[in-house]
Amino acid sequence: MVALARKTLVYEWRRFLPAVLAVGFAGLLQLLQAALVLGIFGSASVYITGSSADLWTGYPGTQSVNLGRPISSGVEMRLRMDPEVTRVEPFQWVDADWRGPSDTGGVSVFVSGIDPQPDGMMFSLALPAALRARLNEPDAVIVDVADLNSLGVAVGDTAAINGHRVRVVGVSRGLRALGGVNVVASLATARRLDTDPANVDRTTYFVAKVRNPDLAGAIAERLRGASDFGSYDVWTAKDFARRSKMYWMFDTGAGAGVLFLAGIVFLVGAVITSQTLVAAVIGSIREYATLNALGVGVGALRKVVMEQAFWVGALGLICSAVIGGLLLILGHSYSVPVALSPATTIACLSLVMALAVVSGLAAMRSLRRADPASLLR
Amino acid sequence: MSSQPLPMTALDATTQVSLQAISVSKSFVSGHVQSTVLHDLTLNMCASELTLISGPSGCGKSTLLAILSGLQGADQGKVIALGQDLSLLNLRALERFRLLHTGFVFQGFNLFPALNALEQVELPLSYLGLSKTEARRRATESLEEVGLGPRMRLRPSELSGGEKQRVAIARALAKRPELLFADEPTSALDAANGQIIIDILHRIARTHGTTVLCVSHDPRLVGHADRVLSMEDGRILSDHRPTSLPTGSGYGTEEPSA
Ligand SMILES: Nc1ncnc2c1ncn2[C@@H]1O[C@H](COP(=O)(O)OP(=O)(O)O)[C@@H](O)[C@H]1O
Ligand SMILES: [Mg+2]
Repeated sequence: MVALARKTLVYEWRRFLPAVLAVGFAGLLQLLQAALVLGIFGSASVYITGSSADLWTGYPGTQSVNLGRPISSGVEMRLRMDPEVTRVEPFQWVDADWRGPSDTGGVSVFVSGIDPQPDGMMFSLALPAALRARLNEPDAVIVDVADLNSLGVAVGDTAAINGHRVRVVGVSRGLRALGGVNVVASLATARRLDTDPANVDRTTYFVAKVRNPDLAGAIAERLRGASDFGSYDVWTAKDFARRSKMYWMFDTGAGAGVLFLAGIVFLVGAVITSQTLVAAVIGSIREYATLNALGVGVGALRKVVMEQAFWVGALGLICSAVIGGLLLILGHSYSVPVALSPATTIACLSLVMALAVVSGLAAMRSLRRADPASLLR
Repeated sequence: MSSQPLPMTALDATTQVSLQAISVSKSFVSGHVQSTVLHDLTLNMCASELTLISGPSGCGKSTLLAILSGLQGADQGKVIALGQDLSLLNLRALERFRLLHTGFVFQGFNLFPALNALEQVELPLSYLGLSKTEARRRATESLEEVGLGPRMRLRPSELSGGEKQRVAIARALAKRPELLFADEPTSALDAANGQIIIDILHRIARTHGTTVLCVSHDPRLVGHADRVLSMEDGRILSDHRPTSLPTGSGYGTEEPSA
């Protein structure tokens, strides 16, 4: 089989370049916007993804980790009773008001009260052991290095949260929150900072570890069935992280923005690509018509056009993957919040390939002009 | 459409009729004006012969060729090619018929710029279902037959007009068609190249037993055909066989009557 599509692509590369660039650009834009959005909204679930718990137990219907409401401390007993559960740990969330030493005014902060033991589950991935040990001091807090300015403090300074004195004993990296500032404290400190009398003897979340993490889904299912100790719900860490991300994505309208932009990029890319492919087909229309006169069916000619579209897509895809990869590495080194999962990458790149296919289908229509009778004059 | 019996022809028994037009009419409507391009034409063409349809521009030669080759339908009458009534075939069956039985050479060479001569000729063969080696063998053979053996690795941009037309002939020839149609194959060429082309077409008819139908307004080709049909205003005026092929320059003394 003579590789007509491929040979034409190589020989007339200048003609196909705009299509390859359009596909490449579309792919790059999709990848970068996905990486940015996932990077930014990924921090909505850093409490979950930065911890090693398999199960999260909280108030029923909680949409995002920052929206937790206290549940009865008795739930801890219920969790411990399950034979598959190996560890249970409370996590206290306190919405609070921060006043720094230099007068920065009030800053709204989220205090995360965690178990500071070296083998604690909360923030086990986000906080080094030495740092979390410092939380054992009474009234000690850790803030993110990127938030020092807005809080108006340096390490070692004191400040007030909800009127209680606290001392900054260290800084974390990558523990930034959306819509406020994260402050990490021990459970004991956090309870002291919580001024709401309704929260006494109540905890925002219980996180748990199970013997076999693969069974976390089933265990969450059977734990959520029970309704003793008041209302609560149990999610796997993965589910809860997803829920939190989705909440932010769609609550802020960012999700709609992303989809809108993705649609525009797709449309513009498809227009450019299909026009380029159409021009290539029209440029060879007499040759195609000759092949048809010689008995090569229209179906076979369409295949040639689709093959061209495929190669244009593949080349554009490689361009966007390589350039996108380099830009993501660059972004990481400048602390730009970018994150890309293999699934998202595949989704973006499939979208780009779909763009090429749609363009190929559009270009295929212009083969109708390949009428062999028009070659006679 | 008409079910009248085939008209008996006065050909000797050794000549085999391979292509027939029976009472073919064709008209085109442009605006409110209907102009008849072919008037009730009936003719037979035989294998192993180069039949030339000659006549001034606009007399309906190309239209006749399009109908005889199945690229266009007739308004009335029918075409029987290799015993097959073409009007009974649907689009796909016509494509298949053309793939198996017919070759085309056009005024323009219509070669893919990206392919070299060998690939141009191999391309339609791959759709015939031939193996790669068989396609290559046939393509090489055809290119050698038109005298392009040494130049078969060149692309169209590296070939002269005459050579490009020979590639186009090789492309049609490699399929080993029983019917070979050529529409003004020499019009884009100078006299010397035009003569080479018509001689190649003539030789193909002789050596392969192909029915070659060539259509041209160029009267200089007349001496190179086995049979010449003169056409004017959609009618065949004369049907004659030039007695001897001129040698040397070969082109007739008549001037083209523009
Ligand atoms: N598709 C068409 N639509 C309308 N008129 C046509 C069409 N094809 C050919 N004609 C007319 O038919 C006549 C014969 O055309 P053609 O067969 O191409 O002549 P020739 O090949 O002898 O020069 C011309 O007058 C031309 O204008
Ligand atoms: Mg013509």
